[in-house]
Amino acid sequence: MSLQDPAGDLETADEASAVVERDPDELAELLGDAVIGREEHVNAPGFVIRSDAVQDVLSTLKEEAGYDHLSVVTAQEYENRYESIYHLKKYADPTQEVSVVVPADKQNPVSESAEPVFRTADWHEREAYDLVGIEYDDHPDLRRILLPETWQGHPLSMDYDKDQPQVVSLREHANPLQADHREDESDTMFINIGPHHPATHGVLHLKTTLDGEQVADVESDIGYLHRSEEQMAQSGTYRHQIMPYPDRWDYISAGLLNEYAYARAAEDLADIEVPEYAQIIRTMGAELCRIAAHMLAVATFALDINGDFTATFMYAINDREQAQSILEDLTGQRMMFNYFRLGGVVWDLPEPRAEFFEKTRDFLDQLPGSVEEYHDLLTANEILQMRTIDTGILPPEVAKNYGATGPVARGSGVDYDLRRDDPYGYYDELDWDVITEDGCDNYSRLLVRLQEVEESAKIIEQCVDLLEDWPEDDRTIQSNVPRTLKPEDDKEIYRAVEGAKGELGIYIRADGTDKPARFKIRSPCFSNLQTLPEMANGEYVPDMVAALGSLDIVLGEVDR
Amino acid sequence: MAVGLLDAAPAQLFPEQVTNALGLPGVVGEFVGALIAAFLVGNVMLAFTGVAGPWAKRKITAAFTDRIAVDRIGPFGLLIIPAAAVQLLAKELIIPEGADRPSYDLAPLVLPASAMLGFAVIPMGQLGPVNLQLADPEVGFALTFAFASIASVSLVMAGYASNNKYSLLGGLRAVAQNLAYEIPLIVTAMSVVVFTGSLRTSEIVAAQQEALFTVAGVTIPSWFAIVNPFAFGLFLVANLAEIGRNPFDIPEAPTEIVAGYQTEYSSAYFVLFYLGEFLHIFLGGAILAMAFLGGASGPGPASIGFVWFVVKVWAFFLFTQWCRSALPRVRIDQLIEIGWKGMLVLSFANLILTAVLVGVIAS
Repeated sequence: MSLQDPAGDLETADEASAVVERDPDELAELLGDAVIGREEHVNAPGFVIRSDAVQDVLSTLKEEAGYDHLSVVTAQEYENRYESIYHLKKYADPTQEVSVVVPADKQNPVSESAEPVFRTADWHEREAYDLVGIEYDDHPDLRRILLPETWQGHPLSMDYDKDQPQVVSLREHANPLQADHREDESDTMFINIGPHHPATHGVLHLKTTLDGEQVADVESDIGYLHRSEEQMAQSGTYRHQIMPYPDRWDYISAGLLNEYAYARAAEDLADIEVPEYAQIIRTMGAELCRIAAHMLAVATFALDINGDFTATFMYAINDREQAQSILEDLTGQRMMFNYFRLGGVVWDLPEPRAEFFEKTRDFLDQLPGSVEEYHDLLTANEILQMRTIDTGILPPEVAKNYGATGPVARGSGVDYDLRRDDPYGYYDELDWDVITEDGCDNYSRLLVRLQEVEESAKIIEQCVDLLEDWPEDDRTIQSNVPRTLKPEDDKEIYRAVEGAKGELGIYIRADGTDKPARFKIRSPCFSNLQTLPEMANGEYVPDMVAALGSLDIVLGEVDR
Repeated sequence: MAVGLLDAAPAQLFPEQVTNALGLPGVVGEFVGALIAAFLVGNVMLAFTGVAGPWAKRKITAAFTDRIAVDRIGPFGLLIIPAAAVQLLAKELIIPEGADRPSYDLAPLVLPASAMLGFAVIPMGQLGPVNLQLADPEVGFALTFAFASIASVSLVMAGYASNNKYSLLGGLRAVAQNLAYEIPLIVTAMSVVVFTGSLRTSEIVAAQQEALFTVAGVTIPSWFAIVNPFAFGLFLVANLAEIGRNPFDIPEAPTEIVAGYQTEYSSAYFVLFYLGEFLHIFLGGAILAMAFLGGASGPGPASIGFVWFVVKVWAFFLFTQWCRSALPRVRIDQLIEIGWKGMLVLSFANLILTAVLVGVIAS
């Protein structure tokens, strides 16, 4: 977008050109001789490029072809090479995707960093370096991100010996909390917020530099909850052994949304059809999860702003509990649902169905009243408005640069929701709206969540109506899926769904066996958390806490 | 309505009554009597906090948040009080490396002590023939504020001596907050003095006993809260800030700076801080009752005045807990802005207004 040119029509023209879809040949022509090969991924065309032309290629794609969203960087090792894949999309139309494949030398895996083009690449490349071992030239700060600084080896690389104990001498084992940050001439104070702190919503460590009470600099230190989820998924079979893991990423009741991400990716990879009836159940369950997750987000945000003992927290937890109870009836579990199966769901709605529908409707009926109450207690409160309006500002351009998605992006006016823009499940058959707010502040993000709860309720209501009238002889909950799934060798796919926190994507590379050769999770919280310094620098400590709360991160998903 | 009955209150203060009742002779007798009286009053206040901290606060918060809270040990869970006492005192007292002693050890003593001192001059009304007021000096009203504001010294001591950055931030916030609110608080309180023309606490209470007007047979007393609701509102807000409760619980701000000045305190020291905070809430309530709600006056004979006093003090406690459950916390810079730019100006306006009114009425 041309910021210098005030002429509005020029901007709209630019925007229009961003949405124009170009076929792969046109793109190849645009990229010129940087392209050394072509690949075909299930979701997008892939361009193999020279490892020293990453910045050129990505900035061309960003500036001239409108691919302004770097979803994720996937790194992996082959027998003869390393490879980084940049999955690009357009915020305006996420169905237009392109994969930029950057091979790197097996002996000396170095590739150019994309950080100067997309800020979000910073953390993604650090993760790639940490877990796979590719080094990125021109990266501003290439350090380990999930594993401790002293870790030896790169766990997802081929020659990694997992049986070798990590021997680290006490001296080497840097204690991040021990460093003496006193400087003689400095007016600032270094303070560790976390890993155990009431405001970090889990085990997040914020290395904060304070100037008085103002945040001069903040750096997130993550990885305390890293559980090798990708590695575990890679050692499970597609058919049954992977589905339980997604529940454990965004574990605060967004389980079905996560399962949806895996189901969508794996079903598209193996060409599995899902019966319509099962899709409606999935959609309903997923939206119930979204309500539960947003309720917790509102609850903890109230904790951050009001302090403990706030009534809002308990009210929201109470509403979440009702959603949880319906989900328990549906899936048999409160949080670790494991309810989706490839090709459908594991079982039908609970009997007696009428009772289940009644319970769900009761919940939906009282929900507008509850939301009204949150508006009374939170958004209409002058003190809360004083605290949240115009604090934690995240301008839309910055949000896009960091790959922010979900309520965080929508609170900055970025109209991006995969349920509508890249439809899956039953969403495109239903009547609902995408919520955006233009405030770009903590308040907007709160508003977005509260309104999305109501939109989710609309979706659930329509699903309940459909399910109630569904003919009894047509209730197929699973399609026919082979007992052992073996997608073709070298088939690659990246598919995302709209999780509770944003774009939750999964990249799978099949190698002809019944287990994925590479399973990469694109966590929305991971990208969203990266924006924290943008929001917090220069603000007061309480506003940083509020900004962190409004990002609504779940460390289980950040660290995986 | 038995407004005005307090006029017949015995002139003797509690310590004299104790001395006379026990027949203690001479100066030593007076001293012993005063000690006993102070001991009794102090224990009543400590008993309040004992009930408030581990039990009433839980029950009240639970009622606000649709929960049940303690109900397993004893009737209504009341035995949680001794249980909590044993639990808290049995914990290990951890003193951080580099703590600045003895101020680290003194801080938890100064906070409750300052609040206890404040009760010395509060007229708490009669219970039967007993007049529950320890002392009634000419400058009693000013003394209560002087005692109450010693609290911030304790917070600074704790914040500084803990050798912890969160504590330091909490201590600094406490100073900033107290500066911003003490002045409006006292200026507002001065408007009460303008009304009564005396700093003697018993006279401030006595001045509120006359009937203001009678509506349909109900006599409305001339409590300053009714005479000057504007000052009452100002005082209430400033009082909330003074005792550091939502929306002004900034020095502790658990989700921001862990627990502020008390981050490093455990076991008995922590109990003392907690005690001190609750005593301060009750002292705040007592000052409010004394200055604006007619002290111990209420329906019924003057001999049950203490009951009304307790009701008013606990009503204020309930109010603080209500605020805590419902209101967001303001930011420290916003609080200072409210204090210096808003409250201070309003409190001076109130003072001038009151002075003019009193002058007009007097002439």
